[in-house]
Amino acid sequence: MSHHTASQTATAAPVAIARPSRLSALTHPRVYVALILLSLLLIIPAMSGSPFVIHVFVTICVFAGLSTAWNIVGGYAGQLSLGHMVFYGIGAYTTALLIQHFGLTPWIGMWAGAALSAVVAVCIGFPCFRLRGPFFALATIAFLEVIRLLAIHFHGVTGGSAGLIVPLKLGWTWMIFQDKFNYLIIAFGLLLLTLIVSWAIRNARLGYYLTAVREREDAASAAGISPTEVKLKAVVVSAALTSLIGSFHAMYTTFLEPATMFSLATSIEIAMFSLIGGLGTVLGPLLGTVLVVPIAEAARGWLGASANGLHGFVYGTVLVLITLTLPGGLVGTFGATVGRWVDRLPGGRSRPEPEAPALRQITGAAGETMLLTRNLTMRFGGLLATDNVSMLLKRGEILGIIGPNGAGKTTLFNQISGFLKPSSGSLAIVSGGQETTPSSADAFARAGIGRTFQIVQPFGKLTVIENIMIGAFMRHPDVASARAVALRVSTLVGLHQLCEVEARNLPIGDLKRLEVARTLATEPDILLLDEVMAGQSQADTQKMVELIRAVRDSGVTVIAIEHNMQAIMSLSDRIIVIDSGKVIAEGDPQAVVRDRRVIEAYLGEDFANAQGL
Amino acid sequence: MDVLVQLLLNGIMLGSMYAIIAVGLTLIFGIVRVVNFAHGEFLMIGMYATYLLATKLGWHPYVSAVPVVLLLFCIGALVQRFIIQKLLNADEHIQIFATVGLSTALVNLALMIFGADLYSVSAPSARQSVPLGGYTVLSGQLVILACALALVAGLHLFMQRTPLGRAIRATAQNRNAALLMGVRVDRIYIISFGLGAACVGLASALVTPLFPVTPTIGSYFVLTAFVVVVLGGMRSMYGAFLGAMIIGIVDSLSGYYIAPDLKEVVYFAIFILILIFKPTGLFGFGRGTE
Repeated sequence: MSHHTASQTATAAPVAIARPSRLSALTHPRVYVALILLSLLLIIPAMSGSPFVIHVFVTICVFAGLSTAWNIVGGYAGQLSLGHMVFYGIGAYTTALLIQHFGLTPWIGMWAGAALSAVVAVCIGFPCFRLRGPFFALATIAFLEVIRLLAIHFHGVTGGSAGLIVPLKLGWTWMIFQDKFNYLIIAFGLLLLTLIVSWAIRNARLGYYLTAVREREDAASAAGISPTEVKLKAVVVSAALTSLIGSFHAMYTTFLEPATMFSLATSIEIAMFSLIGGLGTVLGPLLGTVLVVPIAEAARGWLGASANGLHGFVYGTVLVLITLTLPGGLVGTFGATVGRWVDRLPGGRSRPEPEAPALRQITGAAGETMLLTRNLTMRFGGLLATDNVSMLLKRGEILGIIGPNGAGKTTLFNQISGFLKPSSGSLAIVSGGQETTPSSADAFARAGIGRTFQIVQPFGKLTVIENIMIGAFMRHPDVASARAVALRVSTLVGLHQLCEVEARNLPIGDLKRLEVARTLATEPDILLLDEVMAGQSQADTQKMVELIRAVRDSGVTVIAIEHNMQAIMSLSDRIIVIDSGKVIAEGDPQAVVRDRRVIEAYLGEDFANAQGL
Repeated sequence: MDVLVQLLLNGIMLGSMYAIIAVGLTLIFGIVRVVNFAHGEFLMIGMYATYLLATKLGWHPYVSAVPVVLLLFCIGALVQRFIIQKLLNADEHIQIFATVGLSTALVNLALMIFGADLYSVSAPSARQSVPLGGYTVLSGQLVILACALALVAGLHLFMQRTPLGRAIRATAQNRNAALLMGVRVDRIYIISFGLGAACVGLASALVTPLFPVTPTIGSYFVLTAFVVVVLGGMRSMYGAFLGAMIIGIVDSLSGYYIAPDLKEVVYFAIFILILIFKPTGLFGFGRGTE
């Protein structure tokens, strides 16, 4: 069963994504240029015919494949694994042992290894993904060491430190050849498979989701993304591909020992090639490998044993220099420029922008209860941030929440969007008489509660349109329709002229609108707006008020936290006032502003007395 | 019972060696907030330096401790000044890669210079058996224990009683606030990194009589030191000290009761469990997921 899962994840992705005109993609200059350059990996060694050159190219293909597979986790998902050789070793040992004990061809054995690696990847990834940067890296090193030591300890199975020799039976069935060029064909095939999977992920929803989770996990959850789920998908695919390459490489070297199969140094090298080429880019890992491996192999070839340590020294020095001078890697730094040159070549590239899919129809009678909270209480140590808050939200209304700074408004939002679990009390989404309480922030988003963040949470390295697409993907998994939806939303909020600008370059007013846009793109039933007017000019505030009204008129129910009194009073159908975590007043805007407790909360008791209230 | 007591003693002796390394690692992580993956290679450099001083000049390793500590302080300060300082605002993965790269470069540099052979320093005075109420320890191990205690006590006094120590603690707690109060944070970082490396310098001089030096000796010790640091709660040197004792004892006991080649598996398993279930460390001194 596990075998089934792994092969599915490794191969299903490209099929699902390449759906619109798979062959026409070949006429795109970037695609055919990449394929021509790739084919050099076969043509150069074929022309040279020297076994040493072929060996170097097999090594390049293997390491480029390993690095490309690593990049899916280390680059796209931003999880710096320094123990990736675990999967290489598992693939290698599984394949070799299946040949030895069951006479199973490596062509099948490698898939068994990939399946096992995928299972191990889930077991390592699930508990470790909550760890931050260096600690995740350390944990992966620890797993690598544990498995290496176990491989040495159980020498009855693995041959221990003495090693294991792959049974040498010639022919394609057994993946052992006299003509080295056959190895190169397989290595190249595996590299191509890995690149296609990596490319497909990059250009599919999963790729966008991984970037979103890497940049800001909270904002990703608010867009309905389960961070653990997408990271697990990435690590499973990456582990399976790494394992396949490990299986092949074992057949190529014909000798397995724990020290090289589960090597920390090699794990670091794989990651290093990606960094040099460009983390999180499709072609970066390949480029890094092509540049560095031949130098190291050539040094080893010319200097022999006297070069002991030289290639590692060069690797390490290059790694430090790259971090100091080109942290984006080669593709990250120069990729855009080269891409523009390539785009000047002839070929079909413009695809018609697809029509945006129809807006989701929101059904239900106005005035019915949509959301209710019962005695919501949130304690932070000794502080009661919300104190017995019971409220309900009616379909079609705009509910304003006001209160002094520190009153607990945002804490309330965090609870009704699933980011905080209340210390006591409950809340429920009501739909068709059924009450449900989702279990996580992303589940709240998928249940139709969209929220913005008071402190804006843009995905800084993504463009405006990509930021909005992250939200749109929730209901439109297909990239083209998500893009169309995002374009529509960008026009609605007035960001359409900034679509291709990276979000980190936007001023605060535009970032606030981007928050709203990303949330609107999830097509929520209930929209939670946390101080979206702060930092907006007078004119923009007016536009925002109109936008919120238009959104409400399309059937969305709105709760807005706001300090801009004029705006919130004119906008809201009903107002709730919170002070020190408690609801102190509730009602229509006119009544609330005259309430003595409200005036006291905002302006103090003295002022209330002076006004004779 | 006799065996158990002897094993516990061995564990404490081993633990005090890890303690010195781990305290240095904790200083760097707690103050500069960088995980120094090259820490083990600092140890390796110190051990080769001690070896060279012993063979070329005939210095006893304990005498070499002084110049080696100074050498490592300088290396640490230079690494901070010319590498880490430039990356303080870079992405976390870039910082990781920088120290990982440094580690790789140093291991291989040692391999180029010294080859893969084992070198050991003969210092009989450090290998004498000292009877201790029916049990025995090596004199060199007692020295390490004494130095570990003195190091933690000395650093405690330094951090609590001196203006520089206070500035370091302030920087560790809140870099920006310290900056606003006129603390020269860059300089504090250089000193802290130097101090962390100097601890390893001390450790390297002390362990050279007991362990042969190879280019990869660093990763052998430092992976354990990372386990210790995580166990001790990342930022507390007292936590690191206690954590080191625990790991020393676990090492000693599991080597005897489980299997000598599986003792690392035992404490790496502890490491992973602590990281996952109690990232603040055993004693709740810090936070690993922060």
